Amino acid sequence: MSALRADAAVALQIARKDALSELRGRQIAGSTLFFATLVLLLFGFALGPDPRRLADAAPGLLWLAIVFGSLLIVARLHQLETEDGALEELARYPIERHAIYLGKLLAGLAAVIVLGGVLLPVVAVLYAIPVVAAWPALAATLLLGAIGLAAVGTFYAGVTVRMQAREVMLPLLMLPVVAPLLLAAVKATTAALGGNPLGDLAAWLQLLVVFDAVMIAAGAATYGHLLEE
Amino acid sequence: MPQTTIYAAPRTREQTPPPAVATNELARLFGRSAALAGISLQVDAGATVALLGPNGAGKTTLLRILATSLRPSFGSALVHGVDVTLRPDLVRRHVAYLSHATGLYDDLTAAENLRFAAAMRGLPDARAAVDRALAAVDLAADAARRVHGFSAGMRHRLALGRLLLGSPSLILLDEPHATLDADGMALVDELISGWKASGVTVLVASHQAERVTRLADGFARLDGGLLLEAGGQGVTALKPSPLGWPSVVGA
Repeated sequence: MSALRADAAVALQIARKDALSELRGRQIAGSTLFFATLVLLLFGFALGPDPRRLADAAPGLLWLAIVFGSLLIVARLHQLETEDGALEELARYPIERHAIYLGKLLAGLAAVIVLGGVLLPVVAVLYAIPVVAAWPALAATLLLGAIGLAAVGTFYAGVTVRMQAREVMLPLLMLPVVAPLLLAAVKATTAALGGNPLGDLAAWLQLLVVFDAVMIAAGAATYGHLLEE
Repeated sequence: MPQTTIYAAPRTREQTPPPAVATNELARLFGRSAALAGISLQVDAGATVALLGPNGAGKTTLLRILATSLRPSFGSALVHGVDVTLRPDLVRRHVAYLSHATGLYDDLTAAENLRFAAAMRGLPDARAAVDRALAAVDLAADAARRVHGFSAGMRHRLALGRLLLGSPSLILLDEPHATLDADGMALVDELISGWKASGVTVLVASHQAERVTRLADGFARLDGGLLLEAGGQGVTALKPSPLGWPSVVGA
């Protein structure tokens, strides 16, 4: 139990350090929010002015923007560690490897939740969808989707962090893996907006819970190998 | 410069404690090139040893393996009797390493960087330890400044201050005098002398042979991934590197 508590304390310290770096440097928030909002605007232009078409596409577009934004988030969080050998230094501390993974995951999770929280009202305005009435179900979907994206993204950012072409490799590796998450999150969001909290919504949320659990377990078990050279 | 010794027999089992460092035909390949080509070296606990040699000699590779940052390709390395490959978690508790890269976070202040390091080392009274470390490397006045604005020398001194957190029994220094001015270099000498006086084992890789051998009990000279000689006190070359490695692997 004390080991678990120690690991949790380490993970929180790592997440806190990343959050502090971001609050000071503002290297993720501005660019990611701008990029994701731009994606939503461009999708809107591409689909045309038909309000019904836009409303139907809104859940998918929202989650695509969150997925694209999360790519930038996890990449940047690992880039912080590569500057001046910080990742190697972090790996030399007498701490469990899975605590490092969970720390980076927590930092990524917080950033993805903020991204989703900002994009949701943007989608509501751009595509004229009623998000207020469905907010509890949307919040649950956003939380579970963000956990999955952070879990997968943290792992693959670790895989690609030492690669020369990491900007290309990260989406190539991560996007296929998050396809089930994208599907479940879009379906859950559609069900939530359609006022169906006890039908399809519950099933899709369960799928998200399973996806998150599997990805966190796999990431925590294997992330340590990525730190070895 | 202390007198050079010939290759010697390893310590016997009755002699305790185990050496701070013991490597047996330790090798590390990068592709087809051998950065370390089978080094068998022993460093006694409490000794201060200078690792000498030109660029590419294998000094950094040896230190990184002992610090658990790099896995050996062949052979073994023990730190206080613990294999760095089998139990890196145990080794990390006892080793502190100053590398070429400082491993600092630019957007955190000097104090925050050290507090983070103290937390990662599980120090109970981090604030006091951090204050002492900052004072020791003459950065107390800059504690609240973000590292982003630090000069290379200040970053280096802050990384040195990180070594003072906790109580490592083996300190590995890779070019500790690099990027420092005269005062900074004197500070490094002072720190090494302090560790030596308190019985901490120190391995210093440096191009400043005269400076570090003056501080050290013994020395080991490497070149091309081979251990050429070891001399003075506290360090023993156990056996020659296996013949032919550099030419075969690097061919």
